[in-house]
Amino acid sequence: MAFRDVNARRHIGLQQLSSVALAGRTLLGPMKSCKFIVDESTNQSTLIGSAVRLIESLDLTSAAGQLLNETIQAQNKEFKTGLSTLFFLIGAWSNAVLECLQQNIPVSAIVSVMSEGLNSCCERVQCLQIPIHDVNKELCCSSVRPNTFKSKTCQLGHDSLLNPQVFLYFHKDISAPEEVIPISSCSYQEDDCNSNKWLVSPLAGFDSIDSLVKPVGDKSTSVISGSGVTTSSCNKLTHSRYFSTLGKSHFSSQQGNFQGYLSGHSVDPCECYGLGHLAMALSHGNQASVKLLQSIVVYQQERAECSGSSQFNIAEIVTCCLLGLPESYSCVSPGFVTLVSSEQAAVIKHFKDKPIRILLMDGDLTEQYRHLGFNRLCNVRTILEHPSLWEGRAGDLWLSSMLDILINFEVNLVLVKGNVCKNLMERCIANSILVIGFVTRNVLRAFGEVTSAQPVTYLTQLNASCVGSGVQVELWKACDGRAMDLGELVPVRIKVQGIPLLTAVLTTAVASKMQLIEDQFWTLVYRLHHALNDKNVFLGGGAVELLCLSHIQMLAEQPLQLANKNAVKEFHNPWLAASVTEYKSVVLQALASGWKQYLSVVMCNTAKAASELEACTTVDHHLKKAADCGSPSAYILKEFRRGGLLRGGSGPFADQREGLKVYDNVTAKTEAWRRALDLVLLVLQTDAEIITGPKRNQLLNSHMSRTFCI
Amino acid sequence: MSRLEAKKPPLFISEPLTRDTLSQSLSLLSGILKSCYGPAGRLKHLHNGVGGYVCTTSQSSAILGHLSVSHPVLRVLMASVQNHISRFSDCGLFTAILCCSLIENFKSLNIASCTVIKISKHLLSLCMDYLKSEACGCRVSVDFSSVETLLCLVRSVLTSKPACMLNKPEVDHLTMLILKAFMFTIPCCVETNAVLGKCLIVPVKGRRVVDSTVLPGLLIETTEIQLAEPLTIKRTCSSMIKIALFSVSMSGDLFNPEEGTITVHHGISLEMSELNQLLNVGKQLINDEVGLVVCQKVIHPSLKQYLKENHVITVDRAGLSLMEPMSRMTGSKPIASIRSLSPGCYGSLKDVCIESFASKHFVHLIPNDTVVCSLMLCNRNETAWDELKRICETAEHVLQLTIKEPLALLGGGCTETHLASYIRQKSYSLSTSSFKEIDCSRTQYQLVADGFCRSLESVACSLNHDDGEILTDMFYGHCWFVPSGFSSVSNWSDVVSKCGCGINGNTENLNWRLLQGQFGCPIAQGCPKEPSVKFADFLTLDCFAAKCNGLQVALETANLILDLSYVIEDQN
Repeated sequence: MAFRDVNARRHIGLQQLSSVALAGRTLLGPMKSCKFIVDESTNQSTLIGSAVRLIESLDLTSAAGQLLNETIQAQNKEFKTGLSTLFFLIGAWSNAVLECLQQNIPVSAIVSVMSEGLNSCCERVQCLQIPIHDVNKELCCSSVRPNTFKSKTCQLGHDSLLNPQVFLYFHKDISAPEEVIPISSCSYQEDDCNSNKWLVSPLAGFDSIDSLVKPVGDKSTSVISGSGVTTSSCNKLTHSRYFSTLGKSHFSSQQGNFQGYLSGHSVDPCECYGLGHLAMALSHGNQASVKLLQSIVVYQQERAECSGSSQFNIAEIVTCCLLGLPESYSCVSPGFVTLVSSEQAAVIKHFKDKPIRILLMDGDLTEQYRHLGFNRLCNVRTILEHPSLWEGRAGDLWLSSMLDILINFEVNLVLVKGNVCKNLMERCIANSILVIGFVTRNVLRAFGEVTSAQPVTYLTQLNASCVGSGVQVELWKACDGRAMDLGELVPVRIKVQGIPLLTAVLTTAVASKMQLIEDQFWTLVYRLHHALNDKNVFLGGGAVELLCLSHIQMLAEQPLQLANKNAVKEFHNPWLAASVTEYKSVVLQALASGWKQYLSVVMCNTAKAASELEACTTVDHHLKKAADCGSPSAYILKEFRRGGLLRGGSGPFADQREGLKVYDNVTAKTEAWRRALDLVLLVLQTDAEIITGPKRNQLLNSHMSRTFCI
Repeated sequence: MSRLEAKKPPLFISEPLTRDTLSQSLSLLSGILKSCYGPAGRLKHLHNGVGGYVCTTSQSSAILGHLSVSHPVLRVLMASVQNHISRFSDCGLFTAILCCSLIENFKSLNIASCTVIKISKHLLSLCMDYLKSEACGCRVSVDFSSVETLLCLVRSVLTSKPACMLNKPEVDHLTMLILKAFMFTIPCCVETNAVLGKCLIVPVKGRRVVDSTVLPGLLIETTEIQLAEPLTIKRTCSSMIKIALFSVSMSGDLFNPEEGTITVHHGISLEMSELNQLLNVGKQLINDEVGLVVCQKVIHPSLKQYLKENHVITVDRAGLSLMEPMSRMTGSKPIASIRSLSPGCYGSLKDVCIESFASKHFVHLIPNDTVVCSLMLCNRNETAWDELKRICETAEHVLQLTIKEPLALLGGGCTETHLASYIRQKSYSLSTSSFKEIDCSRTQYQLVADGFCRSLESVACSLNHDDGEILTDMFYGHCWFVPSGFSSVSNWSDVVSKCGCGINGNTENLNWRLLQGQFGCPIAQGCPKEPSVKFADFLTLDCFAAKCNGLQVALETANLILDLSYVIEDQN
């Protein structure tokens, strides 16, 4: 056993993390730059566009590298998004922690302050969450019925998000609180960790507003009326982009119009497109996937209306990658689209008018296959007493008996989860039976549900109730109505009346891009999925990170005495609490530097800033303005509405882009932060590696400093 | 032709303790273990150096399990610590550090080892008598009618291992869950010899810790496509579900006779005959109105299909670890052969349902009487989950030990310093007749006692991993921590806030002194006092039984090693 001391002032593990993560800088943000990973020994290269593919292509044998890999994979498995954020922050925070170590800050202080700081930030940014329902409405209306929307925002306090200023100023008039989080009460989750300082019972304030605004039908109160508040809020709102083009007369003429909608709160003129807009807002510039996802959403919502099933079901989406077609051919087809050989495709012609009977198999379709857990007997000898010539080989016997079963039950189509015996496949083709292998579980389940076919493991299990019917098989046709022949392989489409399954057919003419396109598609699908699961989304475009930065600024400036008092309480533990307060502000700045770098790199990648220095200046500028404003979250909301956050000032294109709102996943983002910090702190707290196994001798011979053997 | 090779003579090492290699290895081992100790302890990456799984831990059970030590003396030490861990789960590092420290301290004394051993045994008996007496100032009694002390106990265990990566809300959440799970395992009606139930940990990796939850009954993971909700279950007339539990594989394979061959005639399929046998079992199960069939291993798909058509639910691959608790929970006897099926072997269940959790599906077996529960344990990544699992098991074990002996010791180093302070005081006031009994001089006794106390104090000092000072007070004998940068302060009361266990605050001048590095320790006037407050909000508590045993194991192992005069190594 070898024992290696890794902890010096320059922690080896953290250095490894920061150097690996440096490779992920360009993968951050909506404008990713892809990378070619070249294997020098074979000269093969791969095009990668995400952190998970990057980490898959790297050969990380060090302990820190392994843990990094494990962390990325875990996030990928759980969310499929937030990976480049995770990857980047690991690097940024490793660097920040290394700098803390340089300043002789004790490890326990770094660990407790950073994790408490992150915790506090995660709670703080909850106020930038917006309920999906509100987002839908806003996105929908802003693009479909802008005018209705505009009047609504002004008058309907219920939609407080849309006009934070109303609340803000209204509130200021009443109680002049230090900070009010303008957010609709349903999504309002105040953090109480630091609330004693800046929270002046905003809930009570909201109640009072609600009571003012709620009776919408009543004309006298439909505008927040009777006080100076109305005018001040409306004046302020003219700065908002919704009102910048809106004339006063227009405004009043719309009044009657909108009240019709509001009386029935659920009647939303464009609910059906809502998810589509949300998908767009979550896409972060991934245009191609958005179109596919939007058509999936339309299909699924239509279905949901009929059957009452869930609005968006990720298990009913599969992808089919077609190489060799231009990317414009990508589309969504109901049913199951897959590639088959041209011989198999020929079988389809025979199906023309016949009702097709389907069989599902949840194992391999080979003679040797046995269900998992079956132990084969290896020492059985078979005696043949009366050999006869006409009895063929055992393999042929199996082939013909299997074929007999399929023919007897009049099966035309077999979907197999695993591998299919080549000979059987040929015999089936000869008998006009289409057998398709490597079909995923979700597809089998979808066909099982609609056709009432029961999946079997062996063909010998087959009885009449296992076979489903009513299936149609045809050659897949592109949007121009032509069937495609991609060399050896032909795409076919299998569908049943009422099947919920949708196939996103992804096409590209560039082979190395295929993986990239598929990854991007799934990332977007999962973003929408998680958004619906969370029921909330974060404001995107750096809003959340900016609020974290301003929150940390506030925490760091917190008077030392107060912090001191809280320390023991927070950590329960005198061992952790003691040294914390002294270093609090330095360590918090280190935590903040991670997000600051994140913002500046995103701005550089998207060409919003020419250099990181310029980007940092912009961030600082916003932070200062947010601090001056008194309520950072209100400031950020306002800027987000204007689309001015991190846009590098008000450029000429600012107005054109305002329709493009950006939102982020809540859990995926905060979890990515947490995982990144967890990994960094885990490695930070490690002072030694204990190496077992054959590598140890090599290590001992390598004259590495501080390596021991017991 | 066989070739004989002369055996090498065994290697004969005399006075192994005086060798340099031992003291170097011992101090390295002790250094590794000390660096792991406590809530601020440093972690170790355990891995094979060529990629693959990395275990990040500061737990003695994981580290000692991975260390392969060549020195026989150290192997003795590690074996006895591991034995302690297997019995008590907790206080492994305490035992190991104390043992190393005792060996080092006793070795440096210039006193015959037999005398040292006698004296140290006497010291141990003093300690044990004190710990078991009512007057003991470093223990608290655990009141099972309120949760406060229990929560402190569990929380102390959870926070002692930083590699779990828990923050405060997560610690609070898990503390409650572990206590809840423990409550489930206490049988409702206690007979003369009550047996605690079992809490099984169900792994859910990749999720947030706060998603963890406790459910009564058992969860079996399933990947079946055909399990559709709602479940229609056949019930007996008393609306119970009859369950058959198979420990034998029902996959339809013949048991492997290992050697020899089976000869069969062409056309006879062993597989088919085996399957027919299985289907006959299925028929009998249906006749006996069984509603649920659970198999430890695999069930043949044809049998599954047959049972399903007859509305019997099948669950296979339950795994060995579930068998004992499942048998206990349902009252069924595991069926070990498919050839005999007695009606008495069935058990019963109150309900069965499907639980979906983080893309996993579980069959949830709900019993009538819950002494078995499942803790769905989540953590974000593999290495942190593994650490968390070990620590949760330790916490459950600590609670089990505590219900047997409802006492806890003050943690955070306070028990060690308090005990050291007690022994110091005691060794000065010992009567001359006691020395005669042990057959040693007063000086010898005091030297050994000092070594013993310094060993105890060095365990407390191991809690400190950053620069800083450890203090003890002359009044309670507790342990106090001063962060670095304050060492030049003249008045300690300006910089200390709370003692290690959290029971004493900095309210009066307690006459602090540095714990480390001083030889002439002043002796407290009279025994260290019991803290005036008996309970504070967040106490750090240690398991009484585990720590007492750890103390004994450490001393006895140290004595055994001190007594070694030869090591004989077989070199063949």
